[in-house]
Amino acid sequence: MKPADYASGEAAAGRHRRAELVFARGGGRSALVRQVSPYPFHTTRPFALDRARPDLATLYLQSASGGVYRGDVLDLAFTVKDGAAAHVTSQAATVVHDTGAARARQTTDIAIGAGAFGALTLDPLILFPGAELGVRTRVDLAEGALAILADGVAWHDFAGRDRPFRSLTSEVAVYGPDGRLLALDRSTVDGADLIGPASLLGAGMGAYGSAMLLGPAEKLPSADALEQALEAVGCRAGASPLPNGAGVGVRMLAANGGRIATGVEAIFNLGVAAMLGFAPARRRK
Amino acid sequence: MIGPLLAMWQADAAFPSGSFAFSNGLEGLAASEALDGEALERMIAGVLRRRWATADRVAMLQAFARADDLDAVAEIDAEVEATTLSEPFRAGSRRNGAGLLAAHVRIATPGAGEWQARVRAGRAQGHLAPTQGVVWRGAGLDAEGATLASGYMVLSGFTTAAVRLGVVGAVAAQAVVRRLLPLLAELAAAPAPERIASFAPRLDIAAARHARGELRLFSN
Repeated sequence: MKPADYASGEAAAGRHRRAELVFARGGGRSALVRQVSPYPFHTTRPFALDRARPDLATLYLQSASGGVYRGDVLDLAFTVKDGAAAHVTSQAATVVHDTGAARARQTTDIAIGAGAFGALTLDPLILFPGAELGVRTRVDLAEGALAILADGVAWHDFAGRDRPFRSLTSEVAVYGPDGRLLALDRSTVDGADLIGPASLLGAGMGAYGSAMLLGPAEKLPSADALEQALEAVGCRAGASPLPNGAGVGVRMLAANGGRIATGVEAIFNLGVAAMLGFAPARRRK
Repeated sequence: MIGPLLAMWQADAAFPSGSFAFSNGLEGLAASEALDGEALERMIAGVLRRRWATADRVAMLQAFARADDLDAVAEIDAEVEATTLSEPFRAGSRRNGAGLLAAHVRIATPGAGEWQARVRAGRAQGHLAPTQGVVWRGAGLDAEGATLASGYMVLSGFTTAAVRLGVVGAVAAQAVVRRLLPLLAELAAAPAPERIASFAPRLDIAAARHARGELRLFSN
């Protein structure tokens, strides 16, 4: 990395970087066989946190630059090869700064191999006033693949004036083993839609989140269990079967991003228990 | 003058499309939080802006434009299936589509029989919006009339359900309709986006929880 790449703040605008993480099974564990994480991506080494499944690798992903800036294009490719098991999570929430005239973009390509398990659970994005972000996620599932995706969105005006973020466009597309589109969650929302009495989320809600637990029904937690676990941590949630037998989808609303982060953790815990058959250790942050 | 009349005919609640059976999340919402006329109006405005204008209208218009190519309509229908993440809304949309289609088959609307045969053969799901596109094109509506009928049915569907659920009185509901007509007109006049998108987490949550409730007036 050249010193110029270390720019931060306004000077860091317009970066296009691609990170890549590939896990493969070998020697009783899931090894990180390829790791590319150019600035501003920063990743830890993989940890084996669960005694019940030492082959489940957990890696923390973080942004080293304090967030997403105008014009940024940040791509991540996360691959779990056949039979491997990996969990990528974030160290903390990601702040999206005012993007001015150049919206930022994040893309994530996730490929889960045959009989593999992959989870990407992220703390919420925190959208600052004037932030405009496009997020695109593509998930390709091989035969017998299991996956958990969960994240959230919150917003904050550091000046305390309730100025909204500009807009968030999001797309999550899930494809099955034969390349068929199974589920597609696409939305655009303006910050102004979420502030004040006319908020689309209803009174008192300052954050939202969603999750997909992908795999055959017998390997998934029930909608009831998900809703109850989320309710217990202060998230109003609804879970329902996804189209084309892809799995179960969850939506949640909460007073703030902190509760959504706790909700994401609860979803991961329930998902792992149902998919892999053990209660995962706490992912410390 | 036949264009506006055809749109009124299809938007009329007397047309047996079966839509009265669906509250589209409102029953679940009313069960979980206190709703009054003002809250109802804000909720419907949000749905019109972030779901009807960007998802239902888009799928209906795409199917309307390609109604003579049922393979293309089936692709749009498959996209509606994939993009409707909430199971109660998917099921409701298929059932409502089947109801509308059955009525049009009985009155021999051109194209309705072929689309129904395809749905019955399991080669399409028959969601409401693409079905509206097919049968309304066959029935002679123009794109503008079809757009207005589709939007008006969402608006009146919610207010009718709200009256039946006791959220507002019948007259107050009409005041809500009147206040939202300019928004509907504005949304209907704006160019449709190319791709289906929607943002209605509050109703998705309400419908998901409602689906497992024991006492229900509506299907969703």
